[in-house]
Amino acid sequence: MEFVIELLSATMRLATPIALAAMGAAVCERSGIVNIAMEGLMLIGAFFAAAVALATGSPWLGLLGGIIFGGLFSLLHAWSTVTLHINHTVSGAIINILAAGLTRFFMVEFYGHPGSSDMVQKTLGDINCAVPLLSKIPLLGPVLFDQSPTVYFMYFFVFFTTFLLNRTKLGLHIRAAGEHPMALETLGISVRKIRYIGVLYSGLLCGFAGSFLAIEYGRFFTEGMTGGRGFIALAANVSGGWTAVGSFVAALFFGFIDALQLKLQVMGIFKIPPEFFHMLPYAATVIAVAGLVRRSRPPADSGNDFSIEKEM
Amino acid sequence: MDKFLSGLKVAAGIGGVVLWAASQFWGILLVLLALGIQMYQNFSRMDREDAVKKLKDLGMSAFYPAVGILAAILIGGLIMAFTGYDPIRAYGALFYGGLVKNWHISLLNATPLIFTGLSIAVAFKAGLFNIGAEGQYYVGSMIATWLAIRFSLPVGLYIPVIFLLAGLSAAAYNIIPTLLKIRTGAHEVVTTMMFAHIATKYSTIFVRNNGGDPATSKHAYVTDAIGESNWLLPLKSIIPGANYRVHIGVLLALTVAVFIWYLLYKTRIGYEIRAVGANKTAAKTQGINSGRTIMTAMLIAGFLCGISGTTQVLGLEHKMYENLNAGYGWNGISVALLAGNDPIGVIFAAILWGILDAGGQYMARTTQTPSAVVEIIKGIILFLILAKYLYFWFGHKLFKGRRKAARGEAA
Repeated sequence: MEFVIELLSATMRLATPIALAAMGAAVCERSGIVNIAMEGLMLIGAFFAAAVALATGSPWLGLLGGIIFGGLFSLLHAWSTVTLHINHTVSGAIINILAAGLTRFFMVEFYGHPGSSDMVQKTLGDINCAVPLLSKIPLLGPVLFDQSPTVYFMYFFVFFTTFLLNRTKLGLHIRAAGEHPMALETLGISVRKIRYIGVLYSGLLCGFAGSFLAIEYGRFFTEGMTGGRGFIALAANVSGGWTAVGSFVAALFFGFIDALQLKLQVMGIFKIPPEFFHMLPYAATVIAVAGLVRRSRPPADSGNDFSIEKEM
Repeated sequence: MDKFLSGLKVAAGIGGVVLWAASQFWGILLVLLALGIQMYQNFSRMDREDAVKKLKDLGMSAFYPAVGILAAILIGGLIMAFTGYDPIRAYGALFYGGLVKNWHISLLNATPLIFTGLSIAVAFKAGLFNIGAEGQYYVGSMIATWLAIRFSLPVGLYIPVIFLLAGLSAAAYNIIPTLLKIRTGAHEVVTTMMFAHIATKYSTIFVRNNGGDPATSKHAYVTDAIGESNWLLPLKSIIPGANYRVHIGVLLALTVAVFIWYLLYKTRIGYEIRAVGANKTAAKTQGINSGRTIMTAMLIAGFLCGISGTTQVLGLEHKMYENLNAGYGWNGISVALLAGNDPIGVIFAAILWGILDAGGQYMARTTQTPSAVVEIIKGIILFLILAKYLYFWFGHKLFKGRRKAARGEAA
């Protein structure tokens, strides 16, 4: 029982960054922009979260910094895809390269060496807030309601993103921008503006996810610390059928695999090199994408360039 | 005269290949000579006007890259000035290091990048993004190291076998992601990326099992060295007085680039690859099997990454390091994008990247400017060259005001 609770609790925690980024990807792709820049956006978020937390001593300000800089950097993706009409995948690849270069440059600038930053004294992971009453429920209580605050934020964003996409006017516009942009444009609503908003939303959530990695899951920033999570989040979004709830469920699956491989490593039942365990999440991603992708349909106009001049 | 040239071309081509296969390195010069004659003949057959037009096109295609690179250097200089470094001294060191002092390191850096850049370019031509080139590079390196440590045959015979096997294994590594792409539509960006992470994780185990185990080995985190008979010929053993580590891999890379150009633009396979990449539906109406074509392109892409790793292991390092993190696969993406997926352009792009890397290290050593500046400059170069629309956009913003004023006067 102890083992199951620990495993599921770790699942929740490890699913958090993937779920956050995947929900961002859902909104972004629903608005018609493919975002493979998430790896880079998370990296930028992680760096600034650690840097701000180190400078101010407050993990909350660090989180805010990560979110803001993730959002700012995502505007570059929006600018290049929407305004400059660069192919979305190409722009994403460039932004990932740029993010790796920038964080390395800032590492040298701020801390005098590439590699890892100093340790953050107090992280979000140190703050544990068990929800009174709810955390006393057997099994579910400790798994769902005895976590660090970021996990609760993640729950909130599942509801918020679903509400945003399905119940608001802006959500309707976002979905229309991805399905049939010309229809939206005829109504006098700027497709460009809506797509900027979609990319910005994913940038903010990726910044959040990056902050989680740097100052909740870990205590410092390391170059390349995202380790492919941006792409796993992309896979979670695709497997989850471009919805917030679906993304969350898929992220839980990836979180579970990650938690499982960590537990198996610690238990040491299998006498194989630990690297085989590290491979598990990546292999699971391939399987999930291959198995689930056929059942879901991407937004019709996602990945296509939109310019009024061309449509007319 | 024309007949004589054609004869010379054929003789040089065949003779060169034969000599080269007999591990006589200068055979490749004959191959290059044959190619040169071919190009000369192409131009001389054209009318004067056509030739001028073609040269003009070439000039125009070099225009945007030149502007992009210059602007990126300018922006990089501004960044350095803002962060308290001396841009003029830094750039002086960068170009002195990359072009004069350590020019051979630039070439060494460029060699594997040419292969990986070609790999990504071929996949792009088929409409696929081989973002996991790094993984195929690792597979190629591992297989090459494994074979070269264990066996050695008489001089020169074994090297082509290693190249072939390592290339084929790396190509095979692409089969599953490509099959998934064809059958289920799983996006190759996600699958090849995941495969890349799996391969890099596995390389750690590989190094440990091949003599790099920190518990038992004297040289931890590095495999045993490969036998000298399996090394690629260094140029210094041919050119007297040369004291650098450039090996014939660079000539191989150039030849392969020309071959890939030929494959893409002059053969049926190349035509099919480009047709599928341009428009799948149109290709289908022409009777092209898009699934098979995509598979072919990805196998070629994997093969190229595999021989990239092999060249690096046999030519330069003679062993494999753990956590090498050289990133030739990732950088290959930039090279292919920079070259606009043109195989010949890849050569120049790879050399530019090699110069920036070698120069960046020299700059960091001599002027204490962080070499990460070079990474940022690379990113900006890419951005400026790909965003061709940027120039229209700026022009629009700049001249809109003026045009409005002109309209006002007219009214």
